[in-house]
Amino acid sequence: MRQNFAGSNNSGKFTKKLKKILLYIVLLAGVLATLFPFFYMIVLATRGRSEIFNYPPPLWFGDSLEDNYQTLMASLPFYKNILNSLIVSTSATLLTLFFCALGGYGFAKYEFKGKDKLFFLMLATMMIPMLLGVIPWYIMMTKFGWLNSFKPLIIPGAANAFGIFLMTQFMEDIPDELMEAARIDGAGEFEMFYKIVLPLSLPGLGTLAILTFLGSWNNYLQALLVLETEAKFTIPVALSMLRGKVDQNWGAQMVGTAMGIAPIIGVFILASKQFIAGITEGSMKG
Amino acid sequence: MLKRKGVSVLLVMAVLGVLIFSASASVLAQDEQVTITVGTWADESFEEAVALFNEKYPNIKVELQLAAINDHHDNLLTRLAAGGEVPDVAYLEDQYISTLAARGGFVDLSQPPYNGDEYKDELVGYPFAQATTEDGELVAMPTDVAPGTIFYRHDRLQELGVNIEDIKTFEDWIEVGKKFMASGENRWLIGDVANIYTMMINGSSTDRYFNEEGELVVNSERFLKAMKTAKEIRDMGLDAGISEWTNEWYTVLREGQVLMQPSGAWLGGHLKEWIAPETDGKWRVTSFPKGYDGPWGGSFAGIPKSSDNKEAAWKFIKFMSTNKEVQWKNFEIANMFPAVESLYYKDAFEEKLDFYGGQKARLVWKETIMNIPEINTSKHDSMISDIMWTSLGEVLEGTKAPKQALEDAERLILRRIRR
Amino acid sequence: MRLKKKHAPYVFISPFFILFFIFGAFPILFSLYLSFFRWDGMTAMRFAGLGNYRFVLTDPWFWQSIYNTLSIAIMTTIPQHVFAIGFAFILHRGMVKFKEFFRTAYFLPYITAPVAVAMIFTTLFGSPFGILNAALSGLLSLPLIGDLLQLLNISYPIRWLGDPNFIRPSVAALLTWRFTGWNIIIYYAGLQKIPKGLYEAASIDGASTRQTFFKITLPLLRPIMFFAMLMSIIGNMQIFDEPIILLGVMGGTNRAGLTTAMYLYQTAFGWTEFGTGSAIAYILCFFIVTASIIFNKYFRREI
Repeated sequence: MRQNFAGSNNSGKFTKKLKKILLYIVLLAGVLATLFPFFYMIVLATRGRSEIFNYPPPLWFGDSLEDNYQTLMASLPFYKNILNSLIVSTSATLLTLFFCALGGYGFAKYEFKGKDKLFFLMLATMMIPMLLGVIPWYIMMTKFGWLNSFKPLIIPGAANAFGIFLMTQFMEDIPDELMEAARIDGAGEFEMFYKIVLPLSLPGLGTLAILTFLGSWNNYLQALLVLETEAKFTIPVALSMLRGKVDQNWGAQMVGTAMGIAPIIGVFILASKQFIAGITEGSMKG
Repeated sequence: MLKRKGVSVLLVMAVLGVLIFSASASVLAQDEQVTITVGTWADESFEEAVALFNEKYPNIKVELQLAAINDHHDNLLTRLAAGGEVPDVAYLEDQYISTLAARGGFVDLSQPPYNGDEYKDELVGYPFAQATTEDGELVAMPTDVAPGTIFYRHDRLQELGVNIEDIKTFEDWIEVGKKFMASGENRWLIGDVANIYTMMINGSSTDRYFNEEGELVVNSERFLKAMKTAKEIRDMGLDAGISEWTNEWYTVLREGQVLMQPSGAWLGGHLKEWIAPETDGKWRVTSFPKGYDGPWGGSFAGIPKSSDNKEAAWKFIKFMSTNKEVQWKNFEIANMFPAVESLYYKDAFEEKLDFYGGQKARLVWKETIMNIPEINTSKHDSMISDIMWTSLGEVLEGTKAPKQALEDAERLILRRIRR
Repeated sequence: MRLKKKHAPYVFISPFFILFFIFGAFPILFSLYLSFFRWDGMTAMRFAGLGNYRFVLTDPWFWQSIYNTLSIAIMTTIPQHVFAIGFAFILHRGMVKFKEFFRTAYFLPYITAPVAVAMIFTTLFGSPFGILNAALSGLLSLPLIGDLLQLLNISYPIRWLGDPNFIRPSVAALLTWRFTGWNIIIYYAGLQKIPKGLYEAASIDGASTRQTFFKITLPLLRPIMFFAMLMSIIGNMQIFDEPIILLGVMGGTNRAGLTTAMYLYQTAFGWTEFGTGSAIAYILCFFIVTASIIFNKYFRREI
């Protein structure tokens, strides 16, 4: 689906317009593929129990939104669950940014003994499938007394290899001359970190923030294991409660899922605007 | 002066307060409050059941830990493995007994003070076999049973001019299936031919995968016949190749595009409530062909060994298994078939059920339950079941011949068991 | 007290490593230890030496799972990055409006909860009544296209999730849908870091879009590409949730969609053979390390 960018710069106005249109078509095709399932989810949220499995599948809105919403609210303290998810994900994101930005800076901008070995070691830990890790993890959480709290979902994951690797890559190509010049000017190491490097790594920070927030928001397995009371549930765990043995409550689940996505989209747009698009030309000047 | 007086009044009140408190505390201590946690899957009927339980045992507070059915079992295993907090009462679906309870992590309920075996006469007999390990330990009590049954579309049979009385064997079903398929487009005997295999395996013998001597019996006539029949049906195009619990499956049930669906009696509840409510009156039920009556599900409850409240937990389990009122309530609300035999003689069992066009469906199921043999189980069941299942897949795809598939399966299983 | 330059790196990385060591070390070591024992989670552990490893390496289902994992990983990783770089570039350089909207839309698949994904894709891939099959049967009835399709010697309707030949591509399609947006985010951020001045200079010099892309953008995107692709490889070789959503934990007919991670999971949690599961994990790890090293060498040499 790659757009053919061939063609000289002497394109006439018509070719330019054509290219533009083609661009939009490609982009919109992508949007169709990604937006449709989301749209379908919302359609299902408005459908009653047995309508959901109609054949042909319903492609337009029904009128059971109210019912599904009521079922959802009657079964769960859902707004509290949303709040819980927000608390957990925000805390996890902030903590992760802290640890990984610091660590990434250390790896990216300094040389030190054992740097390569340490970096590779950390990378290697990502290559060990940790599906069984949930057992020792649970043992630890029990021993720390952290069961039925948010701590297991916030603290352990803050130092993750993916995060530090990402930050390192985004900080690496900040010119060393910039740093040297600042040192000559008398700047301290920390000062350089938060005055120079951090602002220049905003895209990296924003990306890590989004991905971490999202990972935390959708975390199901670990949340399911440690959260024991309904009032503490995050969204994924809460919604799974709707899946009874007899009644699967699809409509209510869909409403809950849709409501659960709204905050993420908000965070995404916020982070995109602030971080990713926020870089200005000025900071690049020496 | 006033201040002094105030202080002494306070002091007196404080002392009095402490005295009264400790007095009442000792009174209360006589009816000890115990809290038990019950881990089970989310279901409407549990709240009522707990309420009934508390009428008899007001001192035992019940905390329900609910989870979707798959998650419940996964969590339980993880917690057991981690030696973490497990509920005092753990509900188990039949297929999970081999994985979770048959390895020594659960209390043997046949021992005193529980003596669960004493209830064998009151309750249906065969589930006790399901919950008894190779070493003779009763690791859970049955709380509801699930007789295997065939739901069939009576309206379709009528269109074909066939009488259910004439369908007695698997061959008969195949014949009528062919007729049905020829009668129109998008018509099949059954949604997933794997169900036929299950029907032929589940209750056809007291052996499941092992015989009395503990020998593996998968490479035998019984399994060969099941695989061959399934393959035959697939080759004739009589099955739609649709897995259960998918959109297609709901569709074919609704539209009457499959003639029959074997399952547990509990499927009726699903059909009526949400899968195909509009098909009210078009279904009937019948039993599996003679000699094949078997279970199709069933719930149990056991006590993990690490529980600190075994006595109270046992009271709960005993109540849920044997108390007639709660068993009947569960049946009414959630279609959970009672384990208590005497309930089968209630008038309600003779009731004509509208969903089945006035058929006295419950009598059919009662009959099935009485016929189900006591099947011996093994702790390897879960693994063997998975291996057999993919073997069946290979046979149906035509990748292997049935005999070859069974030999390969036997080899794989033995390799794992012998480690 | 000012931080000396030579102490600085240790100060910066130690918070991370302290936390990492506390929470990361135990699970990894526990898992490794477990791989030398037989354990069902409930009874005592029995020492098995290399027995688990021997068993796994002679297990035909394990090797099948490796094949499945690799083929699915290859089938999805390449399109993911081609699409992601392409879309990110268009959004970044093409003078299009509504960038926010597009970026958000492309990210949605990753946000969508598994429950919803399951519903949607089983409806899409369903047989005989799924959406794709419905579209196909429509196409089959058209004169020219219909004939061409018949020539392909496939039986319609296609059992996307039932026919072993189609299972892996179907899973790969789901993964591509789900993770391309993730990579778009990363690439878009990476593109942000390329100085605009370079593009301006290039256009003054008369470079075409294509030349700009290959001579300026790609080279400067290298560190990010390395990161994103390596992460993809490591991640795609541990794929677990998505195939289960579509096929169930044993990977469907003939185990065509059984990835090694799924096999690991079922061995441990389904059959309570935790020790064997751990061995599978570490053997898979070996494959992942190998793949990473090969990728590293290739990447340094190529682009």
